[in-house]
Amino acid sequence: MSFFSQPVGVSHFLVVGAVLFVSGVVCMAVKRNALGVLMGIELVLNGANVNFVAFSSPFLRSDNAYALGLDGQLISLFVIVLAAAEAAVALAITLNFYNNHSTVDVDRADELKG
Amino acid sequence: MAPDASLPLLLGLAWLLPLASFALIVLVGPKMGKAGVLAAYVATGAILTSFVLSVIAFGIWHFGHLGYDRKTAETHVVAAAEDAHGSGEHAAGESEHAGADSHAAHGVPTAPPRVFTKDWYTLAQFGALKLSISYYIDSLTVLMFTMVSLIATLIHFYSFGYMHEELHEVVDHEVTLADGHHLHRRGRFYRFFQYLSLFCFSMLGLVIAGNVLMVFVFWELVGICSYFLIGFYIERKSAQNAANKAFIVNRVGDFGMIIGMMALWASLGTFAFGDIDGQQGIFSSVRPSANESQVTVPDGMVKFAATEHVAAGVEATPAQISTWRSEGYGYWLLVIAGVGIFCGCVGKSAQFPLHVWLPDAMEGPTPVSALVHSATMVAAGVYLAGRFYPVFAPEALLVIAYVGAITLLLAATIAITAVDIKRVLAYSTVSQLGYMMLALGVGGWAAGLFHLVTHAFFKSLLFMCSGSVIHAVHTNDMRRMGGLRHKMPWTAYTMLVGVLAIYGAAIPFVVGLSGYYSKDSIIAQALSFWNSNPTHGAFFAAAAIGGAGITAFYMFRLWFMTFAGEPRDHHAYEHAHESPKVMYVPLVILAFFAVTVGFPRLPFSVPKLLEQARYPGEFTAGKLLPDLVYPEEHLSHLPQFHNQAEVVVTFVALGGLVLAIAFYGLRILNPAEVKSQFSAVYRLLWNKWYFDELYDAIFVRPVLLISKLVGNFDRRFIDGFVDGLARWTRAVANFDDVIDRYLVDGSVNVVAAWTYSIADGLRGLQTGKLRQYVMLIVIGTVALTLLIRWSVAAG
Amino acid sequence: MTVHPINWHTAFFMLYAVVACTFGVAVVVSSNIVRMALYLIVSLGATAGLFFLAGADFVGAMQLFIYVGGTLVLLIFGVMLTAKGPFISMRTSGGDWIVAVLLSGCLMALLVPAAFSVASWRNERHAAVDAEPDDSDTAVLAAPRTVAAAHQPAATEEPPAPFIDDNGDGIPDVQPKTATALGLGLLGARVDAIDAKPEMRPGMSGYLLPFELISVHLLVVLIGAAYLARAKRRVR
Repeated sequence: MSFFSQPVGVSHFLVVGAVLFVSGVVCMAVKRNALGVLMGIELVLNGANVNFVAFSSPFLRSDNAYALGLDGQLISLFVIVLAAAEAAVALAITLNFYNNHSTVDVDRADELKG
Repeated sequence: MAPDASLPLLLGLAWLLPLASFALIVLVGPKMGKAGVLAAYVATGAILTSFVLSVIAFGIWHFGHLGYDRKTAETHVVAAAEDAHGSGEHAAGESEHAGADSHAAHGVPTAPPRVFTKDWYTLAQFGALKLSISYYIDSLTVLMFTMVSLIATLIHFYSFGYMHEELHEVVDHEVTLADGHHLHRRGRFYRFFQYLSLFCFSMLGLVIAGNVLMVFVFWELVGICSYFLIGFYIERKSAQNAANKAFIVNRVGDFGMIIGMMALWASLGTFAFGDIDGQQGIFSSVRPSANESQVTVPDGMVKFAATEHVAAGVEATPAQISTWRSEGYGYWLLVIAGVGIFCGCVGKSAQFPLHVWLPDAMEGPTPVSALVHSATMVAAGVYLAGRFYPVFAPEALLVIAYVGAITLLLAATIAITAVDIKRVLAYSTVSQLGYMMLALGVGGWAAGLFHLVTHAFFKSLLFMCSGSVIHAVHTNDMRRMGGLRHKMPWTAYTMLVGVLAIYGAAIPFVVGLSGYYSKDSIIAQALSFWNSNPTHGAFFAAAAIGGAGITAFYMFRLWFMTFAGEPRDHHAYEHAHESPKVMYVPLVILAFFAVTVGFPRLPFSVPKLLEQARYPGEFTAGKLLPDLVYPEEHLSHLPQFHNQAEVVVTFVALGGLVLAIAFYGLRILNPAEVKSQFSAVYRLLWNKWYFDELYDAIFVRPVLLISKLVGNFDRRFIDGFVDGLARWTRAVANFDDVIDRYLVDGSVNVVAAWTYSIADGLRGLQTGKLRQYVMLIVIGTVALTLLIRWSVAAG
Repeated sequence: MTVHPINWHTAFFMLYAVVACTFGVAVVVSSNIVRMALYLIVSLGATAGLFFLAGADFVGAMQLFIYVGGTLVLLIFGVMLTAKGPFISMRTSGGDWIVAVLLSGCLMALLVPAAFSVASWRNERHAAVDAEPDDSDTAVLAAPRTVAAAHQPAATEEPPAPFIDDNGDGIPDVQPKTATALGLGLLGARVDAIDAKPEMRPGMSGYLLPFELISVHLLVVLIGAAYLARAKRRVR
């Protein structure tokens, strides 16, 4: 079973990242719960992180000279930190919204419509 | 303090005090006491102080010139007075004129000057044109100051009583409003005194003025005061008309005066009367001492008249100028200047043909008539003619004499038939002013001004008496009076004194009232003139003598109709009462002066004072009328003229008196019969020689017609043109409006509408739904990626 | 057909990948918010495993610490603070689901081929025959990318392998300890790029400034979050 004997490459990681990303997007698109939307965002960011780490890895490609090296990992660290910050702010916004509207349904938050 | 410093100071103060009073009343008049009663005290205090200052100035002058009098004038005046009584012969040639230069010939080292003149303040100087406030003080000025301020003071006191009705709400029975009621208005007590103060200031300024321009300014100021005061009862239509008439008629005269001033200034380059700071004045230009102070055409006028020669290249050397002068160049200009100045006097002194305004001016309150329209302002014309005497050429004097004589007769005849007590006095005033002008015109400079002074006293006395009567009976119509002497004795007998003074009552050759002396000297001068000029003189002498008779008649007619006989209107008689003390005390004082002011033997008598002011030099024969010879005035004191005059006048006046007694005193003759007998003459006189009608036809109607035509032209053509322009502008504006609304606004609106509809369409996209936005982002991403791929593949 | 020995690296990758993907999809599919949170934890944890497999030990550790330990706890707090009932669910209409799935399908259809479009990303060590001569990317990789080949003089122009692989199994003999390098990198010193070629040096600067920015950013965010989330009920 050559599937398991072949080494994995960047592409495989990218596919995983894509799946996570798309899952996040769909999550954002279909969840009416604001917290669900936040989870979708986490998934999207995570997908992106997978990609960064994959590109920075020295093991996953034949031409290592073109790998991102530590830069990718650094950026993914930043992304993690930003995601945490974002989660905190978004949660605060959600709580505020909940205080004002007694719900977390994003479909009710349409007061800025044209 | 030397007289040259003290006199200007005193008289200047006396002049400016009424101005201060005027300013004060203008500013705070209505608030001065109840209904402004304190204004009267302020104004009276000011003029009283002026009078005191004037008297002090009079004293300074008199004692300063005392020795001068004895040395020179006694040969002349005192001797002449003795001549009048036939006490001796006096050769004309021996007497000397009172003049500074002739005085020097007597070897008296300290001759007091004949005149003080100087600039107080130079307002502006434009090249040769110098505008300054200057004074010209001689004995005439001092005399006029004393006279004006004395009469003004008395009239101020008199007005306290006369105007007391103005202290509270006034019901004007002569003004009926549209609703049938009489006019009610607030009293204007303070305003009356405000105008009086302004008038006193203007009159004194006119007297003290040292140049023609200043004279003109004050001339117009007294004119405007007269306008205000005639129109004091402004609500009365008649008062409005009278004020306008006075003002407009005076403008005619002032027009001539301006011409005279222009002629003088253009040729002489100065406005000043006397020599100020070495600069030659008008008088010394026309009567240079180099030419024995005779009338000489000044160099300037000669050059002015000979412009064509100068332009042709002839050099105006002194020799050439004297050649031109002997050829008569510039003489006409001198005559025109004199006649022009006299035109102003004609207007102001109500001389023929501008006499029509003065009788109508009686619409003003009676104190005004007494002060402004008999004693001072109207006499200002005579004063100015006397002041300008040195400038008049003999021909100009002849014009003055004719105008005066005509006026004298004209006004006197009208006065015979007038029934309004104030109008009789007004015509009498015109007539007496004619006397003065006649006197000036026949060479009687001192006689004319003497009469001016005496007339001022007795005529203001007469007016104030008439005012007292009107105050008592509330009517001007003498036909409704009669017998009033029982009710108001003070008024009646002071007025009798006035009537006697104007009549010239006297014990001939012994003593008389003031009018006797002044009128006699005029008639004597007229006779003297007749003697030298048979052609013109007869008319003048006849006018002067006849005028005396007519004066006697109408004055006694007035007195008898008012005070004697039986009361004709019992209602008015019952209500009549003697005026308050504040009114009749001034009458008594004036009566005293009316009796004594002409007395010639006093050391400071009026004729002596006037002699001090006489300009030196004699008149020569006229250049244009070589027959015209002016006798020297002192010749009239010769017994042949003087005695003749006294006798003739006594009889003629007596004739007038007898007639008046016959008609109105004893009622031997019935005036109505005479009236019907001479109905044509009566109607002529009753209608005042139809002068008003004549002027109405000649001037007023054509002017109205022309103005109507011009008005129509204005309305039709100019207004039409302007309206057309306006209509055009409107049409253009409408067109612009359409363009603006549909083209400019339209395009802007279309753009706005587009923007709006696009935005409205896009607004549907902005749903506010978070999940939808996520979808859109995804769609955008996919579409963008596909687009890039496709374009990379294609490119 | 030759039987190749199982590459455990690959096998673990497959395990973690499947777990991550499955639970990611499960987050989407589930309608219970608490379960969603649980599934997310699993998915993110599996992702951390993938990071370890890719040699990013520090990042993986951080993933576990911050995400699983921090962020998700925060989320669960949120769930607890806002839930009215024990298991509130908000149904999404079927139309939305269909559109979302269609679109995500499109996105996947774009992303997956893109992931495999570059040959060197595939890391096929025995697939030299697959190399397409016309592909620039693959042309570089024309020679079989074995470690032995990497040491052959014929391939002098190729860059040397970034790690020591003496036994040739394609796995570095000494696993890099990335924490030190990352920490120094955040302070501005790039110890990992010391022996890089000079032309590769530019741009490899440190991350001190972004680090500072991020720290300040975090501070601001915390204050902002505290401000936004404070209780304001008394205003009513």
